[in-house]
Amino acid sequence: MRSRDGNSSITCTVCTVVLLILLNSLALNAKEFLISYRYIVRDAILYNEKLSISASMKKCQGKPYNPLILPSYGDDNIQLTIEKNFETFLDYIYKLGLDVRHSSLTKNAQNSSTTILTLKTTCFKVDINENFAKIAPLK
Amino acid sequence: MKYFLLLVVMLSTTSLMAETVISSKKANPLEEKVSSIETDISSIETDISKLQTVVSSNKKILSKASDVRISVVGQGVAPMNTFSPAQAYALSKRAATADAYRLIAEKVKGVYIEGQDLVKNMMVKRSTVRTSVQAMVRNANVVETTFKDGLCEVEMEIVLSHAQFAQ
Repeated sequence: MRSRDGNSSITCTVCTVVLLILLNSLALNAKEFLISYRYIVRDAILYNEKLSISASMKKCQGKPYNPLILPSYGDDNIQLTIEKNFETFLDYIYKLGLDVRHSSLTKNAQNSSTTILTLKTTCFKVDINENFAKIAPLK
Repeated sequence: MKYFLLLVVMLSTTSLMAETVISSKKANPLEEKVSSIETDISSIETDISKLQTVVSSNKKILSKASDVRISVVGQGVAPMNTFSPAQAYALSKRAATADAYRLIAEKVKGVYIEGQDLVKNMMVKRSTVRTSVQAMVRNANVVETTFKDGLCEVEMEIVLSHAQFAQ
């Protein structure tokens, strides 16, 4: 039966395509990444900083907890997303917990100190699309 | 002969008196040092007795009823070769955060201290103090960050509850 709207089939097709595009953009691409972070402060000055991200070659054990959502600004690369939101990510890993190692040496009234903060290599489940990335450590 | 003997006795007594005077003059700084060390020891003994009374009274720092909030202020400085104030701020903030973490670790877990003094010919040749701390810090919150005259200060706090340490 033909509807009053003669272009109904075209409208439906357009709607379906738009819906598919929307669903595709929202579809999450879940992966697991191993992330570690470490920085060294020597005599109250930042000396060295290193963030390592690599895709996990083996499936990680555990369940995700305490997720963080970052805007991905059109990238589906987790490294770029983290680099773009580095301060937010840093605040997040501060909450997760860092290993602190500090040593100071005072020799003939002259002091020198070294502090190392480390996020030990942790497996994160990363759901990423063009709009946002959801990062959660596995425990 | 008599006069000669008297002269010898007088000379010997004067020399003995001079020795005692010199020795007493030499002893004064040593006595001062000894007395200062004694006062230090007495103050340490009083501190120990206070600690013993605290331990004997079995006063718990962490109780089930109330949490303990530890607040510290970490300080950090930007390196000399920064390109912009923003970079200086970012780098000094990292350093200040690490310092704050260190202070929290020191307060919660304690510090390992090792001291070594080398004394040679009654003089301190080398004095060395090593301190170290190692801890895992979770759930620390940054309360406030200030950056003034190249110095960044990060105020950080952590809340300790009895449940975290219950076994």
